[in-house]
Amino acid sequence: MKKILITLALLAITAVTAQAGPEEDRMAFIKYYKAKFPSVPMEEYANGVYAIDPIGRENWEAIEEFPPYEPFIDAGQAMWEKPFANGKGYKDCFPDGPAMADKYPSWDKQQGMVMTLPLALNNCLKANGEKPLKYKKGPINNILAYIAFQSRGKVINVEVPKDDPRAMAAYEDGKKFYFTRRGQLNFSCATCHLQNTGLRVRTEILSPTLGHVTGWPVYRSKWGTVGTLHRRFSGCNNNIRAKALEAQGEEYRNLEYFLTSLSNGLELNGPSARK
Amino acid sequence: MKIKTVLAMLVLAFGLLAGSAAVLAGGMKADAAMAADAIAKAEAARKQAASVNGEWRDTGKFIKQAQEAAKAGEHDKAVKLAKKAEQEGRLGYEQQVSQSELKIPSYLKY
Amino acid sequence: MKKTVRLVSTLVIIASAAWLTGCTGKPTTKEAPKAMAAQVDPAVVAEGKAIAVNRKKGNCLACHMIEDEPTPGNVGPPLLAMQARYPDKAKLRAQIWDATAANPESAMVPFGRLQVLSDAEIDKIVEYIWTL
Repeated sequence: MKKILITLALLAITAVTAQAGPEEDRMAFIKYYKAKFPSVPMEEYANGVYAIDPIGRENWEAIEEFPPYEPFIDAGQAMWEKPFANGKGYKDCFPDGPAMADKYPSWDKQQGMVMTLPLALNNCLKANGEKPLKYKKGPINNILAYIAFQSRGKVINVEVPKDDPRAMAAYEDGKKFYFTRRGQLNFSCATCHLQNTGLRVRTEILSPTLGHVTGWPVYRSKWGTVGTLHRRFSGCNNNIRAKALEAQGEEYRNLEYFLTSLSNGLELNGPSARK
Repeated sequence: MKIKTVLAMLVLAFGLLAGSAAVLAGGMKADAAMAADAIAKAEAARKQAASVNGEWRDTGKFIKQAQEAAKAGEHDKAVKLAKKAEQEGRLGYEQQVSQSELKIPSYLKY
Repeated sequence: MKKTVRLVSTLVIIASAAWLTGCTGKPTTKEAPKAMAAQVDPAVVAEGKAIAVNRKKGNCLACHMIEDEPTPGNVGPPLLAMQARYPDKAKLRAQIWDATAANPESAMVPFGRLQVLSDAEIDKIVEYIWTL
């Protein structure tokens, strides 16, 4: 009897510890896509759907010859260099320079929350008495485009610190969001971008989750401009007939945390262009 | 005699008028109240869904349309729209509650 | 005498069962479903088709190929030989109403359960899909 109890207790402990952490999740996703697309090298996933869509890729490469996001990079550089009303500027908030997109999202232990780049930019503005930027459309995309361009080639390396259980909770929250069906159409992120990746909805090939975060902000032909990752989250939620959640709210930030962690090891290549 | 008859007829006529007016007004009032009630229920259901991040895209829109219809006196339309919104709120809430435990799908192998 | 009656009736039952399974089990030829569908009001089938291809209604083509219809997706299986695949029309209806009932991991929209379509609309769609 005692033996059985001990075995049961041990089993319970292993069941708890066996709960997959960020690295186990990432490896499972890699294994899944490798089985699905055996000929696609890992680094290709940074190119989003074009890693698995040879026809769309030709068109995309042609667009990249004259990148539609270029003017936004220039406008962003001007923003970066222009002093605020108090004489300070972004440079004072981010002394290591604009090549810093790989530092986000990160766990902010002091505030107990996931810090994203757009949030950090607005914190800088607010600290200097400037008006914060909107999180989906408009000038935030200029400064993000400039920072992304300066950060090209940096490797994603999101850490979920073990010394703060709230960090793992935020990661888990993002993971749960990813796997939860929502909206009247009852899709989860996973339904389209994991289970059915590579298949077509109408003429659109469903993109893989790995690499979803590498190229932001994105110039979308559908938008006719550059937009943020959280704008895309909203759009996706809208498509499945779920009410979009707040851009830079906790849910989307945690989702970004989870998604970016899954893309660890991939190179940043924003801004980018998509259909 | 004649006056009595006229009076009686007048009373009858007034009574009928007042009665039908009351019936009419009562019917209107009941409809408006029904619409208001349906809209309140829909709004409560929407809020409950939102409390678990389960609100659907068009639920708020249907409630707004129901309010506009009620304002325009189209109570049937208002009730119909509100009922639809309430259903959506209920379904959106249930959708999230039924998934309160994270379940990794079988196609993702660790 | 009784025995003969029993024998004959058993034979009849077996024969008709064989005939029935032959009818439903055989992968249908192109003509067979159309001949059978003729029993349904063609107006209902036409209405069902209109709902099925409407992007704001069934939008079946988002995920399913239907012969001669433009720009189909391929997340779900092509909609063909439906009577062979669903000899029981009620099962086809159940699948459209809520595919996650049979398979919780199904990607298909639960058109009935989540009220994307009304029951009347689903009835019409079923009649149309069954002709494919």
